[in-house]
Amino acid sequence: MKKLTASLLPLLMLGAQGCKKEPPPPTPPPVTIATLPPTTQPAVVSVSTVTLGNAIDAEKRVTSAVDTFTPKETIYASVDTIGTGPAKVRALWSFVRGEKVAKVDETTIELNPTGPATNEFHVSKPSGWPKGDYKVEIFLNDAAVPAQTKTFKVG
Amino acid sequence: MAPQDKDDDMPDFSDVQSGASSTAPEAEVYETYEVKSGDSLSKIAKRVYGNASAWKKIYEANRDLLKDPDKIFPGQKLKIPAAD
Repeated sequence: MKKLTASLLPLLMLGAQGCKKEPPPPTPPPVTIATLPPTTQPAVVSVSTVTLGNAIDAEKRVTSAVDTFTPKETIYASVDTIGTGPAKVRALWSFVRGEKVAKVDETTIELNPTGPATNEFHVSKPSGWPKGDYKVEIFLNDAAVPAQTKTFKVG
Repeated sequence: MAPQDKDDDMPDFSDVQSGASSTAPEAEVYETYEVKSGDSLSKIAKRVYGNASAWKKIYEANRDLLKDPDKIFPGQKLKIPAAD
């Protein structure tokens, strides 16, 4: 037994060395995971949609889109914008007869939205709209060309 | 000639009423009015607000354009603030 123990001793020592704890690996540097910011709005305001109707809801959206109105109706244009920052949204309403165009109304909203916004413009005529063709042009800031144009009829 | 037609055969839209609003906070709304011959700020205020005395509101909104409230000229484009 003594001999066995003695002969085993070196093996035991080797095993102990084999089990010797390796020094812990160096702590890896912290990994920075890039996190995307929350959905951001572009820094410039733009017009996304324009809808015409004869009524709007509490969110200033047209309840039912139409492009023909009766002479006594109030006409609404709901204009959705996206983006942030100071901007002017202008609605120019016109009556069109052939080559002639008569200005009906021009109204501007100056806003400084921090996200998507809905803007409504409306016109009414107590004596009744003359029957015929009309258009509403939506301009952004001082642009000479409308961002969007919608045509409609009164009949 | 029909009552609503002017001599250029286009209808008259001088009685059109308009407005606007926005879901964006603190949005400012104004109509753009082109001065015609014979106009004055009080006449414009009377037409827009129903009150000639409200001409000061129009004048204040256009101080960058108008040096003298009694001097407005055809073709000038004035900001007409929305009625309170």
